[in-house]
Amino acid sequence: MSDVVKCLNKLEIPYIARGAGTGLSGGATPLGGEVIISLVRMKRLLDLDLENRQAVVEPGFINLKLTQTISGKGYYYAPDPSSQNACTIGGNVAENSGGAHCLKYGVTTNHILGLEVVLSNGEIVEIGEHGVPDQPGYDLLGLLTGSEGTLGIVTKITVNLLKNPEGKKTVLAYFDDIDDASQAVSDIIAAGIIPAALEMMDDIAIEGVEAAAYPVGHPRDIAAFLLIEVDGIAAGIDDQIDDILTVCKKSHVREVKVAKDEAERSLWWANRKMGFGAMGAISPDYLVQDGVIPRTRLPEVLARINDISRKYDLRIANIFHAGDGNLHPLILFDASVPGESERASKAGSECLQVCADVGGSITGEHGVGIEKSAEMRFIFSDEEMAAQTDIRHVFNPDDLLNPGKLFPEPGRCVEVKHGEKKATV
Amino acid sequence: MSMGLADLLKGKKSRHEAAAATESGAGPSNATAVTEAQQAKKTEPSCQSNPLGNYIWDDVPDATKWADCVHCGLCLEACPTYQETGEEQNSPRGRVYLIKSVAEGKISVDEAFADPVFSCLDCRACETACPANVQVGGLIEEARGQINQAMPLSGVSGTFKKTVLNKFFPHQKRMHKLGGMMRFYQKSGLQKAARKTGVLNVMPDHLKDMEASLPEAGKPVLGRYPEVVPAEGEPKGRVAILTGCVMDLMFNDVNESTIRVLTHNGFEVGLPTDQGCCGALHIHAGERDTGKQLAKQNIEAFQDYDKILVNAAGCGCALQEYDELFRNDPEMLPLAKEFSEKVEDITKFLYDHDFKRPASEVNTTVTYHDACHLAHGQGVRSEPRQILNDIPGVKMVDLPDADRCCGSAGIYNLTHPEMAGKLLDRKIDDVPDNIDMISMGNPGCMMQIAMGVQKYGRSEKVVHTVQLLDWAYEKDKLKAHEYEL
Repeated sequence: MSDVVKCLNKLEIPYIARGAGTGLSGGATPLGGEVIISLVRMKRLLDLDLENRQAVVEPGFINLKLTQTISGKGYYYAPDPSSQNACTIGGNVAENSGGAHCLKYGVTTNHILGLEVVLSNGEIVEIGEHGVPDQPGYDLLGLLTGSEGTLGIVTKITVNLLKNPEGKKTVLAYFDDIDDASQAVSDIIAAGIIPAALEMMDDIAIEGVEAAAYPVGHPRDIAAFLLIEVDGIAAGIDDQIDDILTVCKKSHVREVKVAKDEAERSLWWANRKMGFGAMGAISPDYLVQDGVIPRTRLPEVLARINDISRKYDLRIANIFHAGDGNLHPLILFDASVPGESERASKAGSECLQVCADVGGSITGEHGVGIEKSAEMRFIFSDEEMAAQTDIRHVFNPDDLLNPGKLFPEPGRCVEVKHGEKKATV
Repeated sequence: MSMGLADLLKGKKSRHEAAAATESGAGPSNATAVTEAQQAKKTEPSCQSNPLGNYIWDDVPDATKWADCVHCGLCLEACPTYQETGEEQNSPRGRVYLIKSVAEGKISVDEAFADPVFSCLDCRACETACPANVQVGGLIEEARGQINQAMPLSGVSGTFKKTVLNKFFPHQKRMHKLGGMMRFYQKSGLQKAARKTGVLNVMPDHLKDMEASLPEAGKPVLGRYPEVVPAEGEPKGRVAILTGCVMDLMFNDVNESTIRVLTHNGFEVGLPTDQGCCGALHIHAGERDTGKQLAKQNIEAFQDYDKILVNAAGCGCALQEYDELFRNDPEMLPLAKEFSEKVEDITKFLYDHDFKRPASEVNTTVTYHDACHLAHGQGVRSEPRQILNDIPGVKMVDLPDADRCCGSAGIYNLTHPEMAGKLLDRKIDDVPDNIDMISMGNPGCMMQIAMGVQKYGRSEKVVHTVQLLDWAYEKDKLKAHEYEL
């Protein structure tokens, strides 16, 4: 890898490290002329140290495969993006990926103990040696994780492993009114419960997943459902479930049920995790956004997204990690209809503007990539962005590493935005 | 069945026969002329009236199939060729994207397009993984149809398709003759001599491995058994079975077991003599015209039956997809649909009809391999396992990644021996220790895995699921007989 990077450097050819290509912001999509360095064949598990709850993997190692390898011994790797059966841990590091269970367990950066990185001059450095992440000095691990391939190429990753929770229960709650569902989300957190996952889907999203590969048989006349999972020490689980049921009832839930066995629980999760791909069953194309908002503003934001949907005459499905306020509006469109792609991209941008307006952020877990680089202006001033590009310059002085991503380039943002939508649909 | 069907089928045939007469100069003699004429026809592509981008030949791929794909990539890790190569063009998403790109006029139908499309195993594992139910297998087959019309066939795989696929499989008599030749080769001492003298060394390694593991060819069931085999005792129903080509030629004992198991369960078994090859190998290889001819033959042969049972997963899946094959043929489509709905895998049928639980023990340790076209193609996973579990004395041990392709994949092991070999190595590597038998539901897998067992000097016996049930029943019958005495 070091030699390849040195060679590209010498020839001044820009390059991109790529994993499985499941990203949702176009981070690994070339904008023109970049050499793609595919890391999928670097897929070995280099070391497994259960005593210290650590594993060392190459960047092409598949996320879910790690959990599958160690689950028999009672351990798992917590970050679980919905694409976990295909996405690579290297890609997860680049995008600082989240997942349904990051409400309680945190995103990728909270589970990375060390990285081996090839810098843009070809030099190989190790950060967080021997799995001790808290080295004196600046938090370089934190800086590298989520840098979207603009600071270096990760070639080895030391991750933290968790012990399987002793107990786990999953609840499905159907609501007739989306505001009631949103209220229940806030009330659950306010009641002091931190569920492992707290997911929400609205009616259009339900239409999609029920038409796709893992239908659950959700009622089709509900406004939304919540999928809530609690885990931890077995003794406390039932009390938490009781509290959740009470909160849901207070919010006028129509029906609420606890998964009766692992098979039912798995089906509920497959239905949820395949949600994005399932949109293919009801729409030729979709554009997924990834805004974050304060939980309590949920009803207001959903109403404004609904306004955007009407304004652009495009259906918008909502699948989101409600517990941490991470919205995924899925804008459904048909790229073969002239003008519809442009309308979809404008609608997506407006959704992010709403998130920024209420004090949130333009991305929770999908990264900025090419998709949201222009929208970085919604939350950062020019000075703030200059400070960040100065950091990039230290690692990547000639801008050969994944150029054109993450930050809008002065005078180029309109053009970049134009290329974006194809990358994500 | 109505005269309409017969007329329709006959009418179609005679039109083709007329074509054969003009193009080959021969009289409208038999089916041979038809397929050979079709081959001749292939060299000059027939431009069709509704081209789609750079698909300008007959029977264009179905645009609605790729419209479902949103490029999420969840199929990648399910794909054996992607697992091996890590290359996007050798993944389902990459292939679907390429197939779509031809329709959009971005790329043309050439070698660079043909390679990834033909490197697909057509194993359908991606269809199980896909959240949006994209029919990747169908798309691949349709794209191959275009490639075959666009490019004159070349290389080993082309010769194989031209000779074996089109000159043997469609013709029962030739297949039976081939079986006779094989029996002669195996029984006369020729096989022994060939192995001893090293004559076989001129063959490529994968063919040598295959020769070494060929099962002993027996006598086909079709034509040897009566056309209707009566049920034991009071008949519960009436079914037909597809005897298949490879199955009847190489594993006629499996067909015998199938008949015995069904009659023992009270079903009268029909063996329509006019049935032919299902066409799966042809359809997978993009030889859609021959596939359609065979499909018509079978639709006609089985018209008097309401239930058609199949013990070969690849064949069963193909029969269930005849309607897909005739997608662009409004006359045949309803007939094909009606036919496809009657087709069922033997293990699913037995399980759904509460098969007789055997009382006798078959003391053996078994692992089960999911044939791709059974698990991914037909969604039949639990039924065969349930049957095995219900045989007293059978101890089941899980096979890791049981539903990953073994590399057989129709003629794939002949056209892509290197990839097929890698997958076989992985499959054999996964087989747990201390297993007596590996059970499955497809003859292609049986030959491939038997080859792996032989190659690695292992001792597992490769069996079809119904064989184990049959052996248990036979013990039951023997005991009942002894009791009577």
